[in-house]
Amino acid sequence: MDLSVTNIGIFAIVGLLGVGFYGLLACRNLIKIVIALQILVKAALLGFITAASISNKVNLGQSIAITVIVADTVVAVVGMALAIQVRRRMGTLDIKQLSNLRG
Amino acid sequence: MNTPTFLWLIALPLLSSPLIYLIGQIGIRLRRTSWAYWGGFVALAASWIPFALSSHDLNLHGSAEFTYGTVSLRLDGLSLLLAALALVLGTFVAFYSGPYLAKETGQDKYYAMLVAMVGVMIGLGCASDLFNLWIWFEAMAITSYLLVAFYREQPASLEAGIKYLVQSASGSVLVLIGIGLVLSSVGTLRFDEIRSSTSSAPILIAAGALFIIGFGVKTALVPLHTWLPDAHSQAPSGISAMLSGVVIEAGLIAMLRTLSSLASITPLWGPILMGFGVLNMLIGNLLALQQKQVKRLLAYSSLVHIGYMLVGIGITLSLGGTGGAQGGFFHMLTHGLMKGLAFLSAGAFLYSLHIALGNHDSLTISDLAGAARRYPIAALTLSLAVLSLAGLPPLAGFMSKWQIFVAGFKTENILVEVLVIFAALNSVFSLAYYAPLVNTVYRLHPSEVVQRGSKLPIMMTIPLVLLAIAILIIGIYPSVLNWLTGPAGSILALAFGG
Repeated sequence: MDLSVTNIGIFAIVGLLGVGFYGLLACRNLIKIVIALQILVKAALLGFITAASISNKVNLGQSIAITVIVADTVVAVVGMALAIQVRRRMGTLDIKQLSNLRG
Repeated sequence: MNTPTFLWLIALPLLSSPLIYLIGQIGIRLRRTSWAYWGGFVALAASWIPFALSSHDLNLHGSAEFTYGTVSLRLDGLSLLLAALALVLGTFVAFYSGPYLAKETGQDKYYAMLVAMVGVMIGLGCASDLFNLWIWFEAMAITSYLLVAFYREQPASLEAGIKYLVQSASGSVLVLIGIGLVLSSVGTLRFDEIRSSTSSAPILIAAGALFIIGFGVKTALVPLHTWLPDAHSQAPSGISAMLSGVVIEAGLIAMLRTLSSLASITPLWGPILMGFGVLNMLIGNLLALQQKQVKRLLAYSSLVHIGYMLVGIGITLSLGGTGGAQGGFFHMLTHGLMKGLAFLSAGAFLYSLHIALGNHDSLTISDLAGAARRYPIAALTLSLAVLSLAGLPPLAGFMSKWQIFVAGFKTENILVEVLVIFAALNSVFSLAYYAPLVNTVYRLHPSEVVQRGSKLPIMMTIPLVLLAIAILIIGIYPSVLNWLTGPAGSILALAFGG
């Protein structure tokens, strides 16, 4: 397989997705979980740029990517706000100590 | 530029949301905490004017379109259905939340977010390209994260909020990757252009699968449902009603929009949705059966009802004909009303038995023993709602399930008939957890919790009574909603070549 820009992009997307999902599953710290979500979205952003370069719609892809950054930042802010509340109420950021809802 | 009326339907709630926050803040400074409440209620009630106008326009001139740069919105039957559902429940919930939240702080944010959520959901129905759909979807998710974690002092509601945020955000990443796949293979994101393109199938099938999984998190398809019971049970009761009655259905409509643009790629979408429908009905019923908390029970029963909708819609997707989709959309409307009423009635009990006394314990079924003696109206509306959910004639839930089952038998396909019989058996099975609830409420001797309970504010019972009357009327005259479900069903059938 040749090392074209597209192929590098695809490898990077798969890699970032792997890192992100591993982080979501393995991390117990709330802030690390928000970071893992951010890494997942970065994979999707790279996906847009790569997809746009494949279909020769570079402008569309880049404008979409910038819009996604905005929407995604809001999610991260809400996630961090929840993390602050958890830390204030319970004195910990460990999600294992937070899971009481069952059934 | 000529702006169509439906734009006001989206803009009115969205523009009034920051105003409500401001009014609420001023109200707090002047010690008038109810200003935000009235602002929110008036904004949603006023949105009925553009709704009536655009529904009138839709009848006269067919679907309307608005384009600004690359943003294009389009009002058709499906958008109108979602708008009607969101507005009905939103107005009732806003009215109901006044007494429910009267003692809480942060009401300004609550009403601003509630009104914004209704506006965003109406916009979601009108989106006519993939990326705009994602933006509306994400905005809906963000408003609902904040509302689920409204009781920010309570560890349980923070936990529910975080669970919901993490699962929903991962789902929306999958949707984004699906959109990327569509862009790379078709080169456009407009639904009508994707539909008419003849592009390589495998990539688009992968994109469709990602859409099902991604939107499926919000719609609570069964292996992806784990956020739902926590979020629904920990949110304020009005928001539980909104989440269960509209938000998960909005996810379903987003999924159907994306799938209908990929309809020609493979005939498998219908069977896949029906498969998830089977899982949802079975697992939802089994999980609901073992619940002791009223709101968790109702949350699990949402899974079951999503299952019925998926069966109805799947019939149209795989075998054509408008009946199945029409039944599915009819069930979407009646489920919104029934589940809204059930959550609001449960919330009325939760309020007078726990919240008004200053504790945030959850409402268990045994708490409700004999509650009908002290709270006859709320007990009656809760019983009506759950019996209607179980599908007892002559209530609304019976009619909508009936329509789905009839559509299934009309296909004369043996597999679909078996599936419909399975759905009907599940409907009977669901009585196993609804009937004990009604039985407990009407027990002769009130429990200790009921005897200690405080008075139910009269303002809270008004929406309950109105919703109960609506359920009765729809049960007796099911055709009153045909003007909404008919066009929505035929749009879906048209997209799938029925």
